[in-house]
Amino acid sequence: MVTVRLKPVEEIVKSLKPYRKVFVIGCQLGSGRCKNGGLREAFKVAGYLELHGFKISGVKSPGGTCILERLDSSDRSLIKEAESSSDAILSLACGAGTQLIAENVSIPVVTGVNTLFIGVERERKYFDEYCIACGECVISETGGICPVARCPKSLVNGPCGGAIAGKCEVDPSIPCIWYRIENRLRELCSLETLKKRVPLKDYRASVYPRRLVLED
Amino acid sequence: MEFREKLESGQFLITVEVAPPRGVSWEETISALKPLKGKVDAFNVTDCQRSMVRMSALSMAKLLLDSGYEPILQLTCRDRNRIALQSDLLGAWTLGIRNLCLMTGDFTTLGDQPDAKPVFDVDSVQLIEIAEKLNSGRLLNGKELNGKTSFLIGAVHNPFAGPEFLQTLKLKKKIEAGARFVQTQPVYELKIAEEVHSLISSLGAVPLIGLLPIKSLKMANFMKRLNPTSIPPSLIDGLERAKDPVLYGWEYTLDLARAVSEFGAGVHFMLVGKVRELADFIDELRNNRREGP
Ligand code: SF4
Ligand code: SF4
Repeated sequence: MVTVRLKPVEEIVKSLKPYRKVFVIGCQLGSGRCKNGGLREAFKVAGYLELHGFKISGVKSPGGTCILERLDSSDRSLIKEAESSSDAILSLACGAGTQLIAENVSIPVVTGVNTLFIGVERERKYFDEYCIACGECVISETGGICPVARCPKSLVNGPCGGAIAGKCEVDPSIPCIWYRIENRLRELCSLETLKKRVPLKDYRASVYPRRLVLED
Repeated sequence: MEFREKLESGQFLITVEVAPPRGVSWEETISALKPLKGKVDAFNVTDCQRSMVRMSALSMAKLLLDSGYEPILQLTCRDRNRIALQSDLLGAWTLGIRNLCLMTGDFTTLGDQPDAKPVFDVDSVQLIEIAEKLNSGRLLNGKELNGKTSFLIGAVHNPFAGPEFLQTLKLKKKIEAGARFVQTQPVYELKIAEEVHSLISSLGAVPLIGLLPIKSLKMANFMKRLNPTSIPPSLIDGLERAKDPVLYGWEYTLDLARAVSEFGAGVHFMLVGKVRELADFIDELRNNRREGP
């Protein structure tokens, strides 16, 4: 999922300053799961905005904000409702969802979150970055553990000289992912797969903006 | 004789690290090396070591060359993509730089510009492959160059890093890719020096055992934080007891260097400072070796 972090409310207030009537949109996918931009947080922020003299014209979530049909369909259009009732929209969806709202309304859209990364969730508490969408996935060779996203140097030929006692040179509070990779491949009896030299990555696969088109 | 010839003829090698200045005055950096002229086999120029901005290693290497010192140019993957790396390598060759020491490099956030965007387009193994490719007269994309390079390529290895299996595997990949010598992180025990020496030579490269004199207990603890198993308790004890820890650390290192010279291919001193003393030591070492059995 895409994780986000709510911006400081003072910052949100500041960017909404020119407007009076604000519609707040949360997102129940990524933003909601990481408790930084779901409906709950949308209501909280709305309450705070009211205290600061804004008029809240609505607080809603379309579920998945990055899906156009959820925002705008023939029987129910969240963005039309927001657009017609407000001076501005505050979106707590990730950067993708917020842009999709913005390109379909004619009023200003302000974001209330910083979009962070593609990660996983554990115990409803920990969120770890697992993938940087490099477009050329190598994890079949590395025991299903990604060295591109989970090693700060994206090393694909093995660990750097800073990998000491299982800890990463860059941040000793995180593991050097190559220890995990080795353990996993030992379990799978396939350490052999790491013996060949990994060629340079083709970064064309990650040149943005990218597009995926489904065949009919 | 050039560094490469000495290496190929199996001479005992002594290299010293040189950090380019933080600024534009370089004369002092070079004049400080004077006592080592003709004694040290090559001067290894660091590339913004610890991710702190310094003068370009390439410029410093050229300045060394012009002053009569043979440089080894360090190049890291942290700040350059494959285009810049190839370009710098071609430039280095054209300026007369013949030796390289290629490595991944420290991460950006550890230095004094932690907000920089790190590159890491290629890793150390791939960078060695790139240099080898230039040596074969071609760019990475296979396009022919108008003349080939003939770099002597070196790499680095940290005997204290893990996991051991993968570190060894990576070392092997570096040597297979074209590294002819391998410089180690500072070592403080003979046993470890012997082990890493035999590992590197068994994989087909010339080992240069890294030596960094410890100047104080504080420095020992710092090194211990970087590589917990690198500093033996006896060294800590000695430093605690020593009246002059600087001298103690220095002599400790020289003893180790002497011991390595008995069996080893070479040492790499990661210091400048005590250049006079180092020069005297090198004289002593070379004389003893010549006189030895
Ligand atoms: S290799 Fe690339 S695509 Fe695969 S998990 Fe890692 S970052 Fe994502
Ligand atoms: S310590 Fe491990 S995870 Fe950290 S940068 Fe080095 S190889 Fe990558």
